[in-house]
Amino acid sequence: MTAGVDDLPRTSNVRTQQMALWTTAVALVILLIAYAAFPGFWPPMSPQLSADQVATFYRAHTAWIRFSMVTFNLCGIMLLPMFGVIVVQMKRMTTQSQVFAYVFLSATVSSSTIFALADIFFATAAFRPNRDPEIVLVLNDLGWLVFVAPVGMALVQNIMLALAIYHDNGAGAIFPRWVGYFSLAVAIAMAPSALSVAFDSGPFAWNGVISFWLRNIAFGTFVVVMLVVLRKTVHQQSVDEGPFQ
Amino acid sequence: MSVSELTPDDEKATAVADSAAPASKRDLNIVFWIFPAFFGVFGIVFVPLLRVIPPPRPDVGYAGMISFFEAHHTTIRIGLVLLCLAFGGAAVANGYVAYQMKRMTSGPVFAYVYMGGMAVGVLPGMLLVAVCFDAASMRLDRAPRVVGFLYDLGMLSFNGSLGCFSTAYLAFAIAILLDRNKIFPKWLAYLTIWQIVTELLATMMWVLPAGPFAWNGSMTFWLGTAIFAIWLNCQGLMLKKATDQQPAGTRPPE
Repeated sequence: MTAGVDDLPRTSNVRTQQMALWTTAVALVILLIAYAAFPGFWPPMSPQLSADQVATFYRAHTAWIRFSMVTFNLCGIMLLPMFGVIVVQMKRMTTQSQVFAYVFLSATVSSSTIFALADIFFATAAFRPNRDPEIVLVLNDLGWLVFVAPVGMALVQNIMLALAIYHDNGAGAIFPRWVGYFSLAVAIAMAPSALSVAFDSGPFAWNGVISFWLRNIAFGTFVVVMLVVLRKTVHQQSVDEGPFQ
Repeated sequence: MSVSELTPDDEKATAVADSAAPASKRDLNIVFWIFPAFFGVFGIVFVPLLRVIPPPRPDVGYAGMISFFEAHHTTIRIGLVLLCLAFGGAAVANGYVAYQMKRMTSGPVFAYVYMGGMAVGVLPGMLLVAVCFDAASMRLDRAPRVVGFLYDLGMLSFNGSLGCFSTAYLAFAIAILLDRNKIFPKWLAYLTIWQIVTELLATMMWVLPAGPFAWNGSMTFWLGTAIFAIWLNCQGLMLKKATDQQPAGTRPPE
């Protein structure tokens, strides 16, 4: 019984998952370029900058900020297909009720809306960099707060994936056991950045080593590792269900 | 009301047949108990920390708004830390209700609608007010008109996000009424319709800055909050009942 894969012919189900993984892989490469191109990340802007300093920054780097934010806007949510594949694979787990898959999906939708909003705040600040500096400052603040701190949805995603793998302990488990512990470790690495909304300097501030670098590297590592893991998982599904065309 | 089996045939059909582990409901129970735990944290964050419930007044002018943030900036920032860590609990609650809705005979459509409406609503209906209040609290020397903008954006977004929830409530009510598996009792559907009524009343806060229909008004806020509290407790209790009645080793039909 492979509940969850019967809504499409099996061959195309495997093929769509492979296309989803490639979509995310390509989007990830483009996002890394945009990430490298955003002047606000090198180094990440301090919460202690004044309104005039922030406005000057946006005026000096308008073109690169617009380029990176438009690219984030276009490709950020294109990471979503990989998370869709995780949902499909979680629903293939035979030893449980599938409840973790539904919760994972719900958290995935919410976390995507939040990323999309952060991008809009940054991009709006760069749209008219000659605006009143007080307005540029508040848009920049809102962008940083929303970009870094709301990790609660990612925590739920990773904890649900870990719980699902832990409970998928029958023969023919979908994922290797270590993926569950890895997912939990990523959650633990991302959690402290929630503190960034209460700190204006130091490692927990939104530009800090923990809140910014540890969080973003953990998330990036999660996407890369899961792409590799899922590639094998989907391949295994195609082997289990017969060759596909 | 017709007599029907609590264990529907279509669930038996999808019972896990090749499981190596003995049928257990531990996964369902883990997810269920996050529901009350999350709403407990929600209460702590929004009542004593963020001071969003009961709401600060819309009719106070910039001086009143600034003094609100001067008085509460510390707890507001702690509140957002807690919310950022815990607000995924909303996704657990929403996802689990949608999961139970998928066990109904009324088909999966409204389960997906409920999940979609609630998942979108998390941002405008819960997170954004905390972010706006934090932005005001982190720089108390902002220009007064900017403070006023954050105050209004936060409160209107929190109390005035109507459609995401109305859509989810409508899906929930219709699905319960059409369901023959008795996953949730019919009276919960009628109670849910009152939730839609409160959302309709709340439209008034977008045009009236003071009085019973303002965002802190007796009709828009207090009546709505009272009905929400009753509804949420009933939904939680009925979710517990649905969890207890779901046979171990079963999953919803595709």
